[in-house]
Amino acid sequence: MTVGEIIFLITIVATLGGAAMAVLSGSIVYAMMGLVTTMFGIAGLYVFLNSPFLSMMQILIYVGAVSVLIAFAVMLIGPLYRKPKEWTTVGKFVAALGVALVSLFMFVRFVMETFGDTLPQGVPLAENPSFEITTKEIGRLFFNNLVLPFELISLLVVVAILGAIMLALFSRGNK
Amino acid sequence: MTDLLYNNQHIYLFVALFLLFFGIAGVVCRRTLIGMLVSMELIMNGAGLNLVALNRFVSPENGYGMAFTLIIMGIAAAEAAIALGIIMLTFKKYGHIEGGDLKEMKD
Repeated sequence: MTVGEIIFLITIVATLGGAAMAVLSGSIVYAMMGLVTTMFGIAGLYVFLNSPFLSMMQILIYVGAVSVLIAFAVMLIGPLYRKPKEWTTVGKFVAALGVALVSLFMFVRFVMETFGDTLPQGVPLAENPSFEITTKEIGRLFFNNLVLPFELISLLVVVAILGAIMLALFSRGNK
Repeated sequence: MTDLLYNNQHIYLFVALFLLFFGIAGVVCRRTLIGMLVSMELIMNGAGLNLVALNRFVSPENGYGMAFTLIIMGIAAAEAAIALGIIMLTFKKYGHIEGGDLKEMKD
């Protein structure tokens, strides 16, 4: 086992452990830290998938922006210590586990039947020595072929910012 | 070089599948709205990981999967912003963010 494989296994363990911590921990702050761990793990997986630009974007957007946003929401929404426990009943936990297991089973069947036998086990690197979609190519793809989704994303972000400002400033609560 | 562990496609697909699993479980069983939002981010990240893995292993000649993963990141950021705005409004109006107690539209 090479060093790269050991780092890969550590990355996978960080991803899945962070996801488990984000779901199963009792406190929201720990859930947020688990989300950050998962984001770092997925950034590492993107590096292993030969796309370092996406890895950097993952760290910038998720770890840098979304987690800070969630942290500010946790700070502004308080006090959460009145009800420290996240779990309500055992029945709800069993229901969640049932729904998730049924969906997991369905998707495992889907993946197996779609990709089990027919798919080649990945394109081997010998046949395809240079999988290097560089940042330049992603940029060219955006501005040549995907102009409409790019513009729609910018429009969506503008509308989301305006909507968040409207919601936060100009609506009054009952308190 | 081809039999290294990180050149196996199924590992990435199963990691994405377990992210989906944890995300669905979290959306169903979390009580607070912020917990549900965190779980939804997990689901979206699983989708992005799927796209990049299939782009790498199935069609490595272009980069559409990576481009759409960037689009997913933009959508997730916008969604987090608007959802946190709604959560703040809910807290201002009701004084709590328990998802199970918001029954006004149910009646």
